[in-house]
Amino acid sequence: MVFLIGLLAVGLSNVSSAHPMPNSVVLLNVHANRIDAEVQIPLSELQAAFGHAVNDSAAHLIDRLGPQLRAYLIQHIRPQSPDGQNWSVSIGKLAVLETQNPINGVYRELMAEVKLVPPIGQVVRQFVFYYDAVLHQVVTHKILVSVRQDWANGLLADNSPAQVGIISLDIVNNRILPLTVSLESGSIWSGFSSMVKLGTKHIAEGTDHLLFLLVLLLPAPLLVTGRSFRRFGWGHFGGVRYSLRHILLIVTAFTIGHSLTLLLGAMEWVRLPSQPVEVLIAVSILVSAIHAARPLFPGREAWVAAGFGLVHGLAFASTLANLQLDAGPMALSILGFNLGIELMQLLIIGLTIPWLMLLSRTPAYRVVRLTGAFLAAIAAIAWVIERITGQPNSLTKGIELVASFTPYGLGVLAVIALLLTWRMKRANQLPA
Amino acid sequence: MKRNILVTSIALALIFSGLAILEACKSTDDTVTPTSTSGTTTTTTSSSAITTTLSATATTTTCASTGVAQIVCLAEAFKATLTTTQLATAQLTYSKTNAQKWSNLPAGLSARIGINLGSLSSTQLAAFRNLMVGLLALGTTNEGYDEMIGNLAADDYLNTIGGGSDYGAGNYYLSFLGTPSTTGLWSILFTGHHYTQPFTFNAGAVTGVTPAFRGTEPQAAVTAANRTYQAFEQERVAFGAMLTGLSTSEQTTAKLSGTYTDLVLGPGQDGKFPATKVGLQVGSLSSDKQALVLSAIKLYVNDLEATTAATVLTKYTSELASTYISYSGTTAMASQGDYVRIDGPSVWIEFSYQGGVIIKNTPHSHSVWRDHTSDYGGN
Repeated sequence: MVFLIGLLAVGLSNVSSAHPMPNSVVLLNVHANRIDAEVQIPLSELQAAFGHAVNDSAAHLIDRLGPQLRAYLIQHIRPQSPDGQNWSVSIGKLAVLETQNPINGVYRELMAEVKLVPPIGQVVRQFVFYYDAVLHQVVTHKILVSVRQDWANGLLADNSPAQVGIISLDIVNNRILPLTVSLESGSIWSGFSSMVKLGTKHIAEGTDHLLFLLVLLLPAPLLVTGRSFRRFGWGHFGGVRYSLRHILLIVTAFTIGHSLTLLLGAMEWVRLPSQPVEVLIAVSILVSAIHAARPLFPGREAWVAAGFGLVHGLAFASTLANLQLDAGPMALSILGFNLGIELMQLLIIGLTIPWLMLLSRTPAYRVVRLTGAFLAAIAAIAWVIERITGQPNSLTKGIELVASFTPYGLGVLAVIALLLTWRMKRANQLPA
Repeated sequence: MKRNILVTSIALALIFSGLAILEACKSTDDTVTPTSTSGTTTTTTSSSAITTTLSATATTTTCASTGVAQIVCLAEAFKATLTTTQLATAQLTYSKTNAQKWSNLPAGLSARIGINLGSLSSTQLAAFRNLMVGLLALGTTNEGYDEMIGNLAADDYLNTIGGGSDYGAGNYYLSFLGTPSTTGLWSILFTGHHYTQPFTFNAGAVTGVTPAFRGTEPQAAVTAANRTYQAFEQERVAFGAMLTGLSTSEQTTAKLSGTYTDLVLGPGQDGKFPATKVGLQVGSLSSDKQALVLSAIKLYVNDLEATTAATVLTKYTSELASTYISYSGTTAMASQGDYVRIDGPSVWIEFSYQGGVIIKNTPHSHSVWRDHTSDYGGN
C-alpha cells in the first residue's frame, strides 16, 4: 500500500506508459555557455552494465567506487556540437539516493552532477547527445532527457521539466542513436520577465510575507496615546497625510530591508539555513500582531519593518540562490524578482489601505484592529510550531485554505468600510 | 476594558498553540511493511467473488452456432445483460488507437478502456464467462480459460498483500471495438495487469489474436475458489527445457550479448520487429529439439479455442525451420534477468523473468506474444 500512496511522487516515470523497470533521467540546467546536468541512474539497472554489484551492496558506494563510476560516466556521456566537436564533460558530486514511484516502488539510484561545456565558439543550445550509460549493455533501458531550467526561455526549476526526448535502443536496426537537442534561443527579456512573474507569484502565494506587512500597517493610520511604554495605546485617526506618510515609510523600510538581504543572499555572500529564517518570519508576524493590539514600538515601525525586512529578504533569496545562475542572469533575476515582489506588494496595499483608512475613522476600527491582530497572532504561533517541528498542523492547513478566499475578504472589507463610513456621516449630519 | 481584551486574546492564543503542539507531536508512522514470499513453494489462499463466479463449471448458453457466428451470439448475449450506461462503456468504436490501449501495468496506473469486471453483477459475470469460454480453450489446467482465471486469482492475491485496490480481478476490462457481426471489422479486447488478450474479426473470420500479454505475480501458486492456480509456470518450465536441451555450442549461438531486464516489444512498441533475426535457427536443430520449441509456442497458441488455435499453429509449424531462438542470462529461466525470444517469419514470443514491485526480491514473469503480420488483425 505504501507504494501506491506515493502517487504524488511520480516524477517523469509516467512518460513511458508501461515500463516496469525504472528509467534513467537526465535533467539539463541550461546556462549561457554551459549545461549543468543532473543524471539519475537506477542502481538495479546500472549493476548489469557497470560490472560491480552496485545494487546488491549500495552502502558507501561512492567511497568505494567513486573513481570507477566517474570514469564510466565520462566514457558514456559524450555530447558533440553539430559539426562533430566533442564537448568537455566533468563529473561533480556523486550520491546514492532512495527514490520511489508507484510503478517501480522504492528503489535506489546514483545521482551525478555532470558539467557539459561546448568548445569555444560553439553554442550551448544545439548539440548531439551521445549518451549510452547502462543502455550499451541493458538494451531494454530508457533514458529520459528533460530541460529542468533554462533561464533565457523563462523555464525555472520549480516548473515541471520539459522533456526533450528519450534515448533508447532502435529496436528495428539494433543500434543506439544519439539524441539531437535543439533548444529555442531564448532572450534576456524572457528570462527577466519570468523573474518578475516569479516575484509576484511569490508574494501572492506567500501568505506569511503579506500578513506581516498588512498587520504592521493595521495601526498605521492611528495616533499613539500615552507617554510612557506602560501607558501607550492606540488613539484616533491621525489624518490622511499622517497615515499616508506613515504607511509609505513602513513599506519603504520593509523594501529596503528585504532588497538588501535578497541581494546578499542571492549572490551567496550570506547564507543562513532556511529553518531559522522561516521561524523568524513567523515570529515577525507575531510581533507586529502584538504591536497592532498595543503599541510596542510607536514611531519606530519603520525600523522594525526594515529589520524584519532583512529576514524576509533571506527567504526570498533562497529561491534565487537555488537557481545557481551565472552573474549576469543573476543580477537581472534579482532585479526582476524584486520588482515582481514590489509590484505585487503595492497592488495589495493599494487595494487594502483605502478601506483600512476609511474604517480607522469610525469607532468600529478598534474591533477590526483587535480581531485582525488576534487572528494574525494565532496564525503566527501555528507557523512557528509548524516550522520548528517540521509538521503541518490543522491550523496552518486551515490558513492555506482561508488564504484562497482572500479576494472575497477584500470585498467584504470594502463593503463594511463604506457602510460604516456612510452611517457615521449620517449620524454626524443629524442635529445634536 | 482594553487590558481585558488583550489578556483574553493572549490566553486564547496560548490554548490554540497548545493544541497545535499536541497535533505536531502525534506519530505519523503509518508505513506498511510489504509481505514477501520466496521461492515457488508458497501457497496462498485468496479469492474474490469474481474469480469464484468465473470458475464455476456450469455453462448455460443458447448460442448453438459455431465459429465467429457463435462468438457474435455470445457477445450479444453478454451485451444484453448490461444496462444502457454499462453498454455505452463496453461498446466502443473500432480504431487502432483503441486497440492499442493495453499495458502490463495495473489499470490504476495505466488506464484501460471498456467495462471492468468489478462493476458486473453475477448474472453479467456469467454471461462474460460464457463469452470467454467460447474464445479460449477449456479443460486444461493452467492453460486457456483456466490460465486466465489463475491470472485473476494471482492479482487478487497482490491486492491482499499490500498492492491495494489497483490490483485484483475487478480491475480487468472487457471492451467491444466495433459492433460484433459476421460481416464487419470489430474486436474484443480483454485487458488487465498481467493479462491482455485481443481477438480481431473481419468479414466473419478471426484475423488476429495478438498482441497478447501474459505474465503473473506471484510466480508461485495461489489458491482461489478451492483450486490451486499457477497460471504461468508451464511456460517458464518449457523455455527452460527448450534451452537446457541445446548443446553447448548451440547455446553459444543462441546467447545474446545484451542484458534484458524487460520485454523489448512490450506495450507501446507496436510494429518494431528487429530487421535481422538473432540467435539460433530452429531449422538447424534435431527434430526433438525442434519439438521443444514448438511445445513452448503451443503454450501460447493453444490458449485459444481449438479451431482458431489450429489455424495459427499450422502456420507457425510450417515456418518453424526459419524461426530463431535466443536468450540472455541463464538457460534455466529461473533467475532474475533471464530472457528468451522466439522470432519467426510470423511468430514473436518474448519471456522476461524480472523483479517484482509488490513482492520484492522474487522474480516473476512477463511475456508477450506478437505476430509480425497479424497484430491487431493486420490493421
